[in-house]
Amino acid sequence: MRDRLLYIAGGLAIVLIAYNLAQTAAQPREALFYIPLAGTAALAAFTALAASLLFLGSRNFQFDSLAVAVTEAGLAFSAASIVNGCFLLHAATGRWWNWDSRLTAALVCWLLYATYLMLRHAVQDPTERAAFSAVWSIFAFLDIPMVAATIKWWRSVSSLRTDWSGARLWNLVAMILVGILLTVVRMRQEEARRELDSLRRITHAI
Amino acid sequence: MRFFRQVWVVTVKDLRAELRTKEAINSSLAFALVILLMFSFAFDPGADTTRDIAGGLLWIVFAFAGTLVLNRSFARELPNDCLDGLIAAPVSGAALFLGKAFANFLLVLAVQLVSLPIFGVFYNVPWTKQFPELFLVLVLGTWGLTVVGTVSSALTVNIRLRELMLPMLTYPIMFPALLGAMELTAGLVTGQPIDAEKSGFLKMMVGFDIIYTAVSLVLVETILVG
Repeated sequence: MRDRLLYIAGGLAIVLIAYNLAQTAAQPREALFYIPLAGTAALAAFTALAASLLFLGSRNFQFDSLAVAVTEAGLAFSAASIVNGCFLLHAATGRWWNWDSRLTAALVCWLLYATYLMLRHAVQDPTERAAFSAVWSIFAFLDIPMVAATIKWWRSVSSLRTDWSGARLWNLVAMILVGILLTVVRMRQEEARRELDSLRRITHAI
Repeated sequence: MRFFRQVWVVTVKDLRAELRTKEAINSSLAFALVILLMFSFAFDPGADTTRDIAGGLLWIVFAFAGTLVLNRSFARELPNDCLDGLIAAPVSGAALFLGKAFANFLLVLAVQLVSLPIFGVFYNVPWTKQFPELFLVLVLGTWGLTVVGTVSSALTVNIRLRELMLPMLTYPIMFPALLGAMELTAGLVTGQPIDAEKSGFLKMMVGFDIIYTAVSLVLVETILVG
């Protein structure tokens, strides 16, 4: 049943994106994606924060799996958004990186969450790993508004438009569907890995 | 009151241990000098354009030299299981963290106050003109660096690649405070006061310090005890 829901979500996302692309032939089509991608990444950051807080409150490892799954999905989305923005600005200015304030802020936030994954890989003990990465996720989330503000003061130029037309809103829905799909798949992997770990430990004990 | 006494005891203990061995502060100072010298090879030290970016360079030196001090903060407690002793002691995790952060803060600030005159001589900048403001920026930036760095130090103490992970964790989080410190210092070392346009960076640094100190005090128990 869960699998079927996932297939439906994925199919729906494809249909939505295809419909949007067919509807808006006039403007550069890449411009329809970077805002929904960034929006989905922001939603992923919120979810990661919630999952980390819930883990620290309950010590339920499912929340830890959710946190890592949604962080990885968010990193993929924000990377796609940054690359998309680079392509748009390259078409307009001929340079790949213009120190556009929004893209720079997105890049710093991407690095923040990349350190989260690095910390995870470095810590061996599973309980410690979950607790440490939950703490770091909270740290990273708190930094996002400050990063956005300082970069805006440092360099206020941004030529990327951020208006939400109808097609962009529908693309956001599609991207969120894809995000949920990625997160659920990754979360299952993480749960399976934890189960394997515990089985391995039992066999060692025997 | 007891809390502050505990903080004081931990700070004094850390400072005493460091001043007896001088393992972190010596390497940090030497490192700061080497980078200051290397920057003058990379950029023409006499040119006016170099003077404009000198404030930014200075904070790169401070951040790099600072992590050498921060790396030792918790790693120093590993031999003889001192860390377990500290955690088992009737001291709250917050007091332990704050004590260590204060000790690190004083050490990093000492390194900065030594390298600042050398920097002034090398690059011929009038850094003494706006010294009170410059000192305020130094204190705010260093406190941000030590709070985030001490937490990272506690997180990475049992990791194999500890020395590598600490700067990787600290610098991206430090970004708002570091950018603010660079922008403000760049003007201050050349003798210009902080104008209204840049005062936002100062407020941001104060906010950064308060937010991360508060969150670290709440979460440090989780990191140390689990």
